[in-house]
Amino acid sequence: MELSDAAVVERVLAGDGDAYALLVSRYRDRYARFAMHMLGSREDAEEVLQDAFVRGYRSIARCEEPDKFGSWLMQILINRCRTAGGRRGRRERTFVHDEAAMLSAATNHPADQSAWREEIHRALEQVDPLQREAFLLKHVEDLSYEEIAELTGVGVSALKMRVKRACDRLRELLQEVYSVGA
Amino acid sequence: MSEHDDLMIARIARELRKPERIDPAFDGRVMAEIRASRFSGGQSAWQWLVRPRSVRVSPLGGFALAGAMAAALVLAVSQGENPPAPELGETTVAAATSTAAPGIGQTVQFVLRAPSASRVALVGDFNDWDDAATPLRPAAGGLWTVTIPLTAGRYTYTFVVDGEQWIADPAAPPAPPDDFGRPGSVVTIGGSAS
Repeated sequence: MELSDAAVVERVLAGDGDAYALLVSRYRDRYARFAMHMLGSREDAEEVLQDAFVRGYRSIARCEEPDKFGSWLMQILINRCRTAGGRRGRRERTFVHDEAAMLSAATNHPADQSAWREEIHRALEQVDPLQREAFLLKHVEDLSYEEIAELTGVGVSALKMRVKRACDRLRELLQEVYSVGA
Repeated sequence: MSEHDDLMIARIARELRKPERIDPAFDGRVMAEIRASRFSGGQSAWQWLVRPRSVRVSPLGGFALAGAMAAALVLAVSQGENPPAPELGETTVAAATSTAAPGIGQTVQFVLRAPSASRVALVGDFNDWDDAATPLRPAAGGLWTVTIPLTAGRYTYTFVVDGEQWIADPAAPPAPPDDFGRPGSVVTIGGSAS
């Protein structure tokens, strides 16, 4: 039977530090996806996620609800992404738009998943980071606004506005590509 | 919003929900870093430091703490110098105006006025936030001081009073709250001031 998060946290606090590897493998994939979408770079995402896991381990005694370790860790990851995004975001967003690639993606049918996916990532890069964060938590991580508010400390109505603006921006950026295959 | 728009967002979300590839060595790297910090004692210090505790503060203690916060300050001096204890209320942040050449580093004196404290520690980026690494020594007038060498760079730090209270230095630029909202300050040695 799989150990619950609370049971693993208890083992770590009792001195079995290696048990933390269970939590790393449990949350690694999902949280890596969030970090990659936030930062737009696999290398940066892995660095930030590693940092979040290590910080989580060092602070595990402060995890007041061990059965909600995942949410607690996500809170750390969101903050680390914000910090890293502020530091590196500008560099990330200065990538050169390859006109030929843009044209190619625009003329490809969205059924061409590779081009469609690439275009989504390109559009996501151009969404304001806080709006992108709210959009990902809502539509990709599938959290409720109340859960996102708890994680981010931002009010529900402000979050709804961020998500709406992110959606509007994505529609604006992807409309042409999407329409070709719609 | 049209049905077309809703469908478009749903398709974007569906694409973004697909798993991303991650380096197969990732777990190993995380655990290696954790084991390294554990063997260096960082974990036990951290866990001791951040363990939740019940803190009871008397009104008198509250005033003393407020006094301590108001008088906290950090001074930077050039290498090898040992300045006289600062006056109460002095709030100079000499680190930001040091003339030491960047990269060489200098000796930095951290001072906190905390008359009711029984022990004070300095924790920061420079000592892996280990509260056992850099204790302050009591001096006259309720002051606590410690002088440490720092190479050029930007450091976040805070004072830990009696192992319970984290006190940012009001005389220094504030650092953004850490992952758990705890206060901190910033000192920059050499190069540009923060």
